[in-house]
Amino acid sequence: MAHKAETSGNEEQIVVFELAGQTYGVDIGSVAEIIRMESITKVPRAPEFVEGVINLRGKIIPVIDLRLRFSLPDSGHTGQSRIIIVEIGEMTIGMIVDAVLEVLRIPYDSIEPPPAIVNGVDVIYLRGIVLWERRMIILLNIERILYADEKKTLEQVEFGLEVPA
Amino acid sequence: MFSDAEVSVFLDELDEKIQVLNDNFLLLEREGDNLQVLQEIFRAAHTIKGSSAIMGYTGMSQLTHEMENLFDKLRQGQLHASNNMIDVLFESLDGLKALRDHITGQGPPVDTEVLVRKLKEFLKRNGESSANDTPAAAPEDPPNGENALGFTEAEEDVIREAQIRGFQAYWISVTVDSECQMKFVRAFLVFETLQKYGEIIKSVPPAEAIQEGEYDAAFQLLFLSQEDTGRIRHLLLTIAEIVDVSVEPVVLGEEQLKVSLEIEPRRVRHEAVEVVERQESSAQQKGDEDSRRQVKTVRIDVQKLDNLMNLVGELVIDRTRLDKFTEVFENRYDSSDLVESLNEISNHLGQLTNDLQEHIMKARMLPIAHVFNRFPRMVRDLAHKLNKEIDFIVEGKGTELDRNVIELISDPLIHLLRNAVGHGVESPEDREAAGKPRKGAIRLKAFHQEGHIIITIEDDGQGLDVKKIRLMAIERGLIDAETAARISEQEVLNFIFMPGFSLARQVTDLSGRGVGMDVVRRQIEQINGTVEMHTVPGQGTKFSIKLPLTLAIIRALMVSSNGQLYAFPLTNVMETIYVSKDEVQRISGSEVIIVRGQVLPIVSLAEAFGEVKIDTQRMFMVIVGLGNQRLGVSVEQLLGEQEIVIKSLGRYLGRIPCISGATILGDGKVALIVDVRGLIQELTKGVAVDEAGYAAG
Repeated sequence: MAHKAETSGNEEQIVVFELAGQTYGVDIGSVAEIIRMESITKVPRAPEFVEGVINLRGKIIPVIDLRLRFSLPDSGHTGQSRIIIVEIGEMTIGMIVDAVLEVLRIPYDSIEPPPAIVNGVDVIYLRGIVLWERRMIILLNIERILYADEKKTLEQVEFGLEVPA
Repeated sequence: MFSDAEVSVFLDELDEKIQVLNDNFLLLEREGDNLQVLQEIFRAAHTIKGSSAIMGYTGMSQLTHEMENLFDKLRQGQLHASNNMIDVLFESLDGLKALRDHITGQGPPVDTEVLVRKLKEFLKRNGESSANDTPAAAPEDPPNGENALGFTEAEEDVIREAQIRGFQAYWISVTVDSECQMKFVRAFLVFETLQKYGEIIKSVPPAEAIQEGEYDAAFQLLFLSQEDTGRIRHLLLTIAEIVDVSVEPVVLGEEQLKVSLEIEPRRVRHEAVEVVERQESSAQQKGDEDSRRQVKTVRIDVQKLDNLMNLVGELVIDRTRLDKFTEVFENRYDSSDLVESLNEISNHLGQLTNDLQEHIMKARMLPIAHVFNRFPRMVRDLAHKLNKEIDFIVEGKGTELDRNVIELISDPLIHLLRNAVGHGVESPEDREAAGKPRKGAIRLKAFHQEGHIIITIEDDGQGLDVKKIRLMAIERGLIDAETAARISEQEVLNFIFMPGFSLARQVTDLSGRGVGMDVVRRQIEQINGTVEMHTVPGQGTKFSIKLPLTLAIIRALMVSSNGQLYAFPLTNVMETIYVSKDEVQRISGSEVIIVRGQVLPIVSLAEAFGEVKIDTQRMFMVIVGLGNQRLGVSVEQLLGEQEIVIKSLGRYLGRIPCISGATILGDGKVALIVDVRGLIQELTKGVAVDEAGYAAG
């Protein structure tokens, strides 16, 4: 796995955010920017977790609700809610999170492999667990999340064709 | 070796010349030995020969050499073009194309020997006179004329081309010992030696004669090389029994330059985007001449044009925003000086943006000739194969449209033309029996109309039998007999756009497998175009294809539904009406209204998108159409027409049913673009147009 944002051989920067009471992190290398909630255009008949699309300086970016994506309880958006814009390859999407907490520099060896069972989130979307300075941060594998969704969307569309209207 | 840029210049030229050959072979076939046509062909063949030899493509230069020889005979009236010969010429042309494909790495190596032999056959049949002929130069040739240096226009072209590639032309005179016993061996050695260092493009007497030893003490050669005078001279003098060699660089005079300049602009205009950038090195060497040749054109990556177009798209969005803002400003502050200024700036910016958009769009435009030029040959071959006599008329070749559209329109047109030749136009016998002229006509035409391109394909053949289609539709269970009797002719004709629906009695290799019309329609609709068909039994069929000028920006009708904004591409909007709830009727579970006596199925946009429909007493209805199908879509509000820039929803979302993309509005909000085709398909599913179902059956 590539760690684009490794600052030195044994450190890594992560963006730390909150989702349904848990602390998560993503590699800063895949984060393009973090924006406040803005008006989102709903896309009818898109998968449920797709909140809609936004205009990011002339580009159309799909936005997903990470709570819905991980089937966590939906609690609506607050003033703390943010959209984290992530970029992997040619894909850019926004992820709505409850709040962005900070950017952390963590020692590489503080990342543990993901445990077999994590409350709520499917293990395949996890990169590991950071246990550092008495904190626990769940590291997400953005690549897996994006590509799994892409595949799912395609399947849904194909499936949709088979179903009589 | 030659750089990619040089090879690409060569290939561009080759394509151009192949097209010239193609067009003129067709003319030759139609008009017989027309001197001007023959000249054109000769020149084109000659140019290819010269440049391919320089590039080291021997197969190609040999082939074109034979073609050139043949045309030399033809234009001197020593031979006459026969049908057989024209067939061989077309074969040779295909050979050239195959050679080109090999060069570009798209095709296997090509053996040209058979073709060369076939071409030689014609020359042989002409008698033994070849030794006395002058294949390359034709002094007695009036329209082509010779200049002071004794070169034909074609030769000058070659010299000039060579100079651009950094070659110098030399006029070499070789004198052989008068006692020489084996003149042909000496001559052969001279040719051999020179060919290692360049290309001989002309000789006096002709090469064949020289190599037979049929020359007096001396012969002259026009030679292209990168070597200098001294070296060439030295090389030749090392050959035994060569007593004297003179090497003169060839300088084309002012007069010839003028000629070339007259030719250039014409070529430039033709090329539009694919213009040729001359290399820099040659510009330095041949400064003056080349700087004049370099005028006006640069070769540019399409991607760059696309990026520019995107930027203009952004600008269009901002302009719209500014317009809105100005309006607000005006309302709030009435007409103070400031408002006036803002208004002025806004108007001016609007004008500039429009101009910019137009110019960039134009830069992306290519004449439709790029597609059309391939067709005469195709129609000819097909007509021959099917023993039909067809006059193929092409109009509006110069009509320009976006290169993206051009790339995508070719396939559907090929399908339609093949159909016209195969099924439209009858055999000469049938036509005579029907009291029509033996020769059928197919007319392909392109023209602009109200911001769209219209392409029509019209034949004067047998037309389509509506009754037969009706019966077939029933036979295949597409509709029941009762429905069949009720629906209009246009609706019946629609069935030919169904997958697997073919009218041909038997499957031939050109059409009749039932693939075709559905593909045609789908491909045209993919580029936001529409296709319509009209047919009169016994008199012919006409297809009209309506295409947008560009794929990036379209005019759209903006509507709102459930508080969200949507855009309907204007190409799909037939009209908008305002209907009251009482007018809605139900026919077997689906809602319809009656418009001018026609039953129109309706749906609310909110419902179609799986949202809650808000009931109102009166509603706005957008009537959309696709081909001959109509559907009424009720929306909350109509917000007017607007130019929008189409943006994709991106790979992550993939394809969302009934939505074809998104656009950014003046206020920065995103509106989704309604996919009218998807909507119509989905809502008529199970009635008459379930495509998936038919494909299986």
